Amino acid sequence: MKFGTILMATSFALGARAHADRPDFNNKEAPQTLSDFREIQSALQFHLERTRSATVCLQMGGSSGSAVIISKDGLVLTAAHVTSKVDEEIKVIMEDGSEFTGRSLGLNSETDSAMLQIEGDGPFPFVEVDMDDSTELGDWVYSLGHSGGFDKARGVNVRVGRLVRTAPTTVQSDCMLIGGDSGGPLFNMAGQLIGIHSRVGASREESMHVPIREFQDHWDELMEGKFIGEGGFAKKSKPGTGFLGVVTEETEEGVLKVTELWEDGVGEKAGLKVGDLIIEIAGEKATKELMTSKLAELGAGDKLKLKWTTGEETKEETIKLGERP
Amino acid sequence: MKIITLILAVALPLAANSLPSEKRKNGPLVQDALSPVQVSLQESSAVFYSNETSKAFLYGTVVSDDGLIMTKASEIEEVESYYVRVGTKKFRNPVVVARNDVWDVMMVKIEAEGLKPVDFSQAKDLAHGTWVVSNGATERRFRRPRAGIISANKREIPGGSPAVLGVGLKEKDGDLLVGEITEDSGAADAGLKEGDKLLKVDGSDIKNRDGLVAYLKEKSPGDKIKLTLIRGKEEMTLEVELMARHKLYGNGTTRNDQLSGGEAQQSARRTGFPMVMQHETMLNKNTVGGPVFTLDNQFVGMNIAAVNRVEAFAIPGKELSQIVAELKKSL
Repeated sequence: MKFGTILMATSFALGARAHADRPDFNNKEAPQTLSDFREIQSALQFHLERTRSATVCLQMGGSSGSAVIISKDGLVLTAAHVTSKVDEEIKVIMEDGSEFTGRSLGLNSETDSAMLQIEGDGPFPFVEVDMDDSTELGDWVYSLGHSGGFDKARGVNVRVGRLVRTAPTTVQSDCMLIGGDSGGPLFNMAGQLIGIHSRVGASREESMHVPIREFQDHWDELMEGKFIGEGGFAKKSKPGTGFLGVVTEETEEGVLKVTELWEDGVGEKAGLKVGDLIIEIAGEKATKELMTSKLAELGAGDKLKLKWTTGEETKEETIKLGERP
Repeated sequence: MKIITLILAVALPLAANSLPSEKRKNGPLVQDALSPVQVSLQESSAVFYSNETSKAFLYGTVVSDDGLIMTKASEIEEVESYYVRVGTKKFRNPVVVARNDVWDVMMVKIEAEGLKPVDFSQAKDLAHGTWVVSNGATERRFRRPRAGIISANKREIPGGSPAVLGVGLKEKDGDLLVGEITEDSGAADAGLKEGDKLLKVDGSDIKNRDGLVAYLKEKSPGDKIKLTLIRGKEEMTLEVELMARHKLYGNGTTRNDQLSGGEAQQSARRTGFPMVMQHETMLNKNTVGGPVFTLDNQFVGMNIAAVNRVEAFAIPGKELSQIVAELKKSL
């Protein structure tokens, strides 16, 4: 992890920040007596149950990550390398084992932030977010996550440490992390979410998190489901690799008619039949040219909305494209 | 939910954006503040040194004033001969007097008197987030404390290693096919061949890969299963003995094991305990075996496994008390 290279020499006066409500242990260089440790412990324990209940496991394909719910209607923050795609169905598992379906919203492939929406009736347990970016270097923090995957008997795993480095789009703590924790939450001792687990260094004491300010900087884009950037945390599908498995021709009347279907292709699986007339592609009037250009820009796994008529009924499906043979 | 986007460009001044290592969780300043608990570690920990290398390789927990010490059996067996330090004193010729393989513990006797054993009467269950203190590194005369918190539910850790066939499985056109076969596996011995189409296991139809994997999950190493398959045009049934995954593929193969330092850091025996207390103190395979104390110097357990980058297991004090009582009876 090349942390040093992304440190930015931004420095301007923040003005006097209110230190009044900061716990005393955060104003000390290090704990001086056992009572300092006890105060850290009671602050952590005071918020632990609530923050644990909002820490979820995400499963998609064979992989498993962590995430945290931040609103009672099920908005979730996680890491881009966990969701890895926008608009993808992902299983959400609560600490008690109950399962929900989630759908990934946007992600930032350059900084590793991502959002997801749980589809289901709330209210869900959720945590408070440190929207004021009030956590400082050296503050005591704790991390939660489904380390190594969901384990009901073990439950959510908690670790404590300090904020040991800060940079614009990354903060580092010495709370130890492992695979499966990715996307999980980092909290300050007021129980507020301050970051999302992203990656680790070679040493066990180097853990990197995406700070909340990074989510704030791209909040609307993430909510709208945008795939941001061309970074290494998530890869866009390769344009032109998407395959519908449908051969069409434009009739003299200017409609798009299905003339052939690939056996077991995604078009056939979606219910298209030879002779059907495609009316709309991605919400626009269907033409041969539009079909060609859409398929040229989409990749395998991307989605395409089609509306068609069989002559008797009109159907509409969002079809996940297969891989071009 | 509507949250107003706050565009922030806050960065702490460059000079201030790294915390010096001595102030970090495992740094010396934090360690210094633990000195009231260090006293207990100093009195009731034993340190095992290899006679060959003179290096400390394991801790022990003092359980009687006349020199009985509990430690991790599978780890101490790795070293041919060793001596022990308790406090600042050195004890030669320790003798193994009893063991319990279920818990992976060994009772060792040194010729000593007037030691300060741990007090089992203080053992209790601790809530998540409670600080506990263990031995970190050691000096010849000084046990260094290292702190961590209770990090997960107290629980049983299922034993051993999952049962495996020793083949890759491929799904193709709705069929389940045998892929690459691992040498010396039960599948190889039974004569399975790459490309065999699997139909049934123990007489029941196999639906898909997941179905077979789920069936195997319920089995133990050493169990035999009957696989009905089609090879070419011939249908046949072969009996395959399942093997323990670690025997076939070794330990330390997962990415998380690699992340955790693999065999150099993790305890080789880290599963199969009837009950553990889990904490997140940064231990490795050479720093287990010692006692775990609360901030109030109460003895609450003995470290038994450095599991991975984030998890350490201790045998809870109550359970250890019973184990010790039984082993003492056997002497």
